Amino acid sequence: MEVIFLLIGISVVMASSFLWLFIRAMKSGQYDDTYTPSIRILFDQKVKTKEKEVPSSKSK
Amino acid sequence: MSETTLERFYYDNKIVKYFGAATVIWGLAGMLIGVLAATQLFLPEANLGNPYTTYGRIRPLHTNAVIFAFVGNAIFAGVYYSMPRLLKAPMWNKTLSWFHFWGWQAIIVSAVITLPLGLTSSKEYAELEWPIDIAIALVWVAFGANMIGTLIKRREKHMYVAIWFYLASFVTVAVLHIFNSLALPVSLFKSYSAYAGVQDALVQWWYGHNAVAFFLTTPFLGLMYYFLPKAANRPVYSYKLSIVHFWSLIFIYIWAGPHHLLYTALPEWAQVLGVAFSVMLIAPSWGGMVNGLLTLRGAWDKVRVDPVLKFMVVAVTAYGMATFEGPLLSLKNVNAIAHYTDWIVAHVHIGALGWNGFLTFSMLYWLWPRMWKTTLYSTKLANTHFWMGTMGILFYALPMYVAALTQSLMWMEFGDGGRLAYPNFLETVIQIVPMYMLRAFGGLIYLLGAIIMVYNMIKTAAKGSFQEEEADEAPALLKHVSTSGEFWHRAWERKPVFFTILATVAILIGGVVEIIPVMLVKSNVPTISSVQPYTPLELQGRDLYISHGCVGCHSQMIRPFRAETERYGEYSKAGEYVYDRPFLWGSKRTGPDLHRVGGKYPDSWHYQHMVDPRSMSPGSLMPPYPWLVVNTMSHSDLPAKIRTMQKFGVPYPEGYDEIAVNDLMIQANAIVANLKETGVEVAPDTEIVALIAYLQRLGTDIKKTAVTNP
Amino acid sequence: MSKSTKTIAAQLAKTCYHCGEVCAEEIIPYDEKNFCCTGCKLVYEVLLDNDLCAYYDIETNPGGTQRNVSTRSNRFDYLSDQDTILKLLDFQNENESHVTFTIPLIHCASCIWLLENLHQLHDCVISGRVDFLKKSVHIKFNHQLFSLRDLVLLLSRIGYEPSINLADVGNKDVKPTDRKLIYKLAVAGFCFGNMMFFSLPEYFSEAELLGDGFRGLFNYLNVGLALPVFFYSATDYYRSAWMALKNRTVNMDVPIAIGIFALFFFSLYEIFLAGQEGYLDTLGGLVFFLLIGKLYQQKTYDTLSFDRDYKAYFPVAVTRIKQGAEEVIPLTKLQVGDIIRVRHEELVPSDSILLEGDAAIDYSFVTGEEVPVVKKQGELVYAGGRQKGNPITLTVQKSPSQGYLTDLWNNEAFEKKEDKSLESLATRISGKFTVTVLLIALGALVYWSYTDVALGVRAFTSVLIITCPCALAMSTPFTLGNTLRIFGRGKFYLKNTQVIERMARVDTVVFDKTGTLTDPAMASISYQGEILTQQTKGIVKSLVNNSTHPLSNRINSWLESVSPETLESMEEIRGKGLVGYYKGQEIRLGSAEYTSSGTDGVVAGNQVFIAVEGEVLGCFSIQSGLRPGISRVVENMGQGREVHFLSGDHDHERDHLRGVFGSEVIMNFNQSPVQKLEYLKKLRQAGNQSVMVGDGLNDAGALRESQVGIALTTHASNFSPASDAIMDATALPSLPAYLDFAKTSRNIIKASFGLSFTYNAVGVFFAVQGLVSPLFCAILMPLSSISVVVFTTIATNYVAYTSGLKKKIM
Repeated sequence: MEVIFLLIGISVVMASSFLWLFIRAMKSGQYDDTYTPSIRILFDQKVKTKEKEVPSSKSK
Repeated sequence: MSETTLERFYYDNKIVKYFGAATVIWGLAGMLIGVLAATQLFLPEANLGNPYTTYGRIRPLHTNAVIFAFVGNAIFAGVYYSMPRLLKAPMWNKTLSWFHFWGWQAIIVSAVITLPLGLTSSKEYAELEWPIDIAIALVWVAFGANMIGTLIKRREKHMYVAIWFYLASFVTVAVLHIFNSLALPVSLFKSYSAYAGVQDALVQWWYGHNAVAFFLTTPFLGLMYYFLPKAANRPVYSYKLSIVHFWSLIFIYIWAGPHHLLYTALPEWAQVLGVAFSVMLIAPSWGGMVNGLLTLRGAWDKVRVDPVLKFMVVAVTAYGMATFEGPLLSLKNVNAIAHYTDWIVAHVHIGALGWNGFLTFSMLYWLWPRMWKTTLYSTKLANTHFWMGTMGILFYALPMYVAALTQSLMWMEFGDGGRLAYPNFLETVIQIVPMYMLRAFGGLIYLLGAIIMVYNMIKTAAKGSFQEEEADEAPALLKHVSTSGEFWHRAWERKPVFFTILATVAILIGGVVEIIPVMLVKSNVPTISSVQPYTPLELQGRDLYISHGCVGCHSQMIRPFRAETERYGEYSKAGEYVYDRPFLWGSKRTGPDLHRVGGKYPDSWHYQHMVDPRSMSPGSLMPPYPWLVVNTMSHSDLPAKIRTMQKFGVPYPEGYDEIAVNDLMIQANAIVANLKETGVEVAPDTEIVALIAYLQRLGTDIKKTAVTNP
Repeated sequence: MSKSTKTIAAQLAKTCYHCGEVCAEEIIPYDEKNFCCTGCKLVYEVLLDNDLCAYYDIETNPGGTQRNVSTRSNRFDYLSDQDTILKLLDFQNENESHVTFTIPLIHCASCIWLLENLHQLHDCVISGRVDFLKKSVHIKFNHQLFSLRDLVLLLSRIGYEPSINLADVGNKDVKPTDRKLIYKLAVAGFCFGNMMFFSLPEYFSEAELLGDGFRGLFNYLNVGLALPVFFYSATDYYRSAWMALKNRTVNMDVPIAIGIFALFFFSLYEIFLAGQEGYLDTLGGLVFFLLIGKLYQQKTYDTLSFDRDYKAYFPVAVTRIKQGAEEVIPLTKLQVGDIIRVRHEELVPSDSILLEGDAAIDYSFVTGEEVPVVKKQGELVYAGGRQKGNPITLTVQKSPSQGYLTDLWNNEAFEKKEDKSLESLATRISGKFTVTVLLIALGALVYWSYTDVALGVRAFTSVLIITCPCALAMSTPFTLGNTLRIFGRGKFYLKNTQVIERMARVDTVVFDKTGTLTDPAMASISYQGEILTQQTKGIVKSLVNNSTHPLSNRINSWLESVSPETLESMEEIRGKGLVGYYKGQEIRLGSAEYTSSGTDGVVAGNQVFIAVEGEVLGCFSIQSGLRPGISRVVENMGQGREVHFLSGDHDHERDHLRGVFGSEVIMNFNQSPVQKLEYLKKLRQAGNQSVMVGDGLNDAGALRESQVGIALTTHASNFSPASDAIMDATALPSLPAYLDFAKTSRNIIKASFGLSFTYNAVGVFFAVQGLVSPLFCAILMPLSSISVVVFTTIATNYVAYTSGLKKKIM
């Protein structure tokens, strides 16, 4: 049944990397706001037809 | 200061259109094949009299077409549409996108070619042979790279929960696929699994379960979390819940594999684990369902009029049912009844037809009008499709449940005198044939519904004008490190996701390098001295058995129940499978178990039965295999096979590959002679001979007392 | 979506397209839409010009009314001040600034959409990100051509004026939500799950089916997984235990820490030396459940965030007069001796002397008494008052930091001496508990060691593990936390759980009359003097009709039925009264001196005199009326608790109140804030456990001095930081119930102590005999914790339900 070594190895590694990801996500503030994003996705950006003139400040 | 300007970019709808089209085309194909297969289960003649369209080979074709072609393309369509919009960035690399698209279609085509030809590894949902497996790995990684690239280039800091589901699916499926497909090639289209018997079974179902989890479930949850709120135009009921439910789901799913092997020769403790964690799965799964349904609370008026939402409601409900049924089935006593029966078939189809199918339909109905800047051609037709689909599911599932219970109870029923009430397996099959008809009918309606959808989609496209690209504007995420903890975002946008995956892969490869040799060389499965490697002829016969997909209907795993030992003989021991590469335990008993069929009937019986099953067992549903007696087989690849087996440590004597063919001929001639006595003339190099040799060997080792050398 | 909006807008033609309010005063049609005020229309125009009208499609009438938005152009001038800017900004580099504003108006999807599309409105705005729940928006902008002030102006132009106050300008450290605990929990949970996974074979006695190789593997994996739990997740407990020991006390965490240590090291011993399986899964579970308890506790606390910064009450900007010219400066810049101008409805930022103008200072903000106090030139005007009437000029006497309010807050009464609370009760118990457990454990060790050392060690640790008082530790935070939540749902917000415990011991209730017993809305008016003819009443009516003065309003409502007479002319002299001419006669209405009635023989209080041609007819005396149902509250209170009243007013209402509340109530009038404080100090010295119910800031010290200071408020935004609790006025009637409930929760905790003791007893019974198997340990441990939690939750909810504090049981 050595295959168990393999399966457990993989599973543990995957699970831990997920755990790591989770902590990174928390740290990065991904989950500070657990409401607004759900609304944000509902907006379909309709880009203006008239091109906006680029102000000088941005060119520099 | 270009980074402070508002950046304009374009979403690529073309790739979405292509994946969407592929979805419906392969979907129809897959369903059609399904209907054909279902028909053969009550009308064996429907196999069109040739091996290529016979059940054993089109069943895997059906599952592959539906899972990887239909659902797969649907996932890609959804991801390629939603991900850029969620991250405010077009997909990272167009070329990669198109490589992904055409690569994936090529893989499907090659599956459509190889599977009917009987080129299969016979591992469920992983039947494709090694060259295609490699191609899959490549294309899949291209997909992942494209996603991660987009992630890095994104303009939206927050990664919406759907993205998480996509990523988790990518990582996990990649790992699963690689490890389950490990095999040593014999030739371009033949390979032997790296694992033998019980171990192979364990890996296969660890994969099999997680494939369901991470290919059919998590990506679709991602799609649900994007398209359901969009379609209902209201935020998901609880975003917090969606996050919690994501993390708990991926943490638990990994473990739940072994429950597919309850009461098998798999060690008890491993089974216990499987059950425990499968039961735990209910919580997070239902978290998703509840979240989906509650999102629509107060919007039922919309649901009544909008077919998209209708499909979604049924899809989410089906998900709930399936995820409740799953853990239920993993309970040992339930499993004892349900395993090997049509219950499992019903279960997976609730998932496939209801959850995956309906969510895909709703997605397409929502996408098409948008991408063609128009409205749906006909809501009426969409509703018709909805009702046909729903009816289809009911007509499919309910008869299956009835069939399952009826047959399972008949198998287990004991008459007076303590003997089986239905000793003849066939009785239990004939009983449920009407149910099979109903099932095929259900499938047919479902298919017709899908066809209506395709018409609707074409008409919708026709009346609108396709928007190849959609413009959007968003400010770039800035590249500075600020005081207020914003450093993390930066770090986040750059490396982590990418590195995690690299790290994961790296570690895994490292692990494999270390572990596999250990594993392959010796196995501490309790060995049974009398169990011997297959003789060359038996080996050839076994490969025939594999290539004709006999495992689709015949299990080779007798569970330790009186009902089974009475019917089939001594229950199966782990030690009996040490030379089985791949394992052939099977998951469904449309026909009887064959693990102890060896020596049960004379060779001539098998001969006649193969030529015309109904001549031996009237009313049998088994398709005839007349070609077996005419087709001759070349044994040129035999030495290679022997050498491969030796690499795995199968104790063939040194240099046996040279003399193997002689041994083979000796055994073949013996069988031919044996048949001759019953007046059957057959050439020793016909396929039937090899197959008979294998069948007669099955499960006979432990009966032997003396050790015979191959 | 957008269609439906339009139709709705069409149906409700009378409501404002922008804010959805009924167009009361005027209807401004524009672009086929109606607007209630020019403000709303202007916002619409701005959005229309930048075609951001999707704003109106996402939600119907998403805006906030612009009717009473100040239009003073220079009101944001102070934002040009570099220091202020730097204080407000989160981040700045050579051409880019980030700032986070709180915008109370944020309430719907449209708000989010608009604020995140600011860049469409002005090129220099780079991006905006809304945090809906925090009602805040984080804006990045290019400050080269676009100042912070411009940004705020832009926001207010689209109706989203941020609320900037000194709290922001002052210390910017917004306490980060403690994520550490979540990490620890996640790690513990992850490891616990996997350890369970590897131990399941043991639980189900499948161990023998497990090859030795695997058992070894599983045990080592468990060790690997236990390390993060032991060295990371559990660290809080070591720390607090160590702290306790350093202070020569024993708290709950000491036994926990010992338990964890024993568990960990004994398991290591078993795995590596004895070749057993150890109890690491138990360790994981133990820590995991303990942390859940901790998290729950933290969450309940976070739900009540107290704004404890008094500066939040002050206007940030002050108009200073320098060389005759006005300039707006931030309050922090204000110095003693500066001349400042305070306009109608503006706050007096710090104690100052009135230089010119008629000051009618409304201290309702501070005292809850909304009748303006008239100040003469040269008089000291206290900080926190609000000028009613024409602009006044003052010279600053104290810099804001040491204003009158500050004095109160900095009063030593602020520091509440923590006395023996339930926490410490738990600690005391756990102190004994620990000692007992250790003794028992040692006893077992010694006893068994005679025969078998290994068994002795096993028994020793088993006792420690099984009796590990996690159940004990959880019962208090869970019960109190839940009580907090129940109170919170009843609009009664507590600062922390200690407050509950103090409430449980209360025997004295002190009411500050104003705004608690009395309710300005319920004012009652009595008239003394010559009987007024219907005609005179009519005149008075029309006079007060034209005045917004609180007293006028009250008289007005008193004269409800009367029909006003038409006057030739009338005017309001701010801070004095009203004068009108009727048929050539001058009728004055107002303060004593104004009506030249002289103060002789006049009962102080809130009185309005009426004089015709300089001759006083009589006066209205206004008594702020009592809160409905207050008397019942007081008598319920009376049961077992003595009740005191304090009032800043004159005692002209004493008899009236006596009548209502009976004689046993102790009443004190003319109480200055400091006197009130002194009063409670006396009570405390007399050994009373007092609840002080007050409102506003003038009883802040008193609130502080009391064991439990409850600030009563009609809108939770305005409360005294000095208080331990905020109560919505509507919740006052159930105050007795709350006090009783506090008592009960105390008992519940004791009961749950009992419960967990039983568990421990059972545990010990088996442990001392060295009978505990890992499974038994692993099951009993979380079981006891969970059941205690369940018990406390159900119990508290049930009691709350029966005592009518809660609608549903769960």
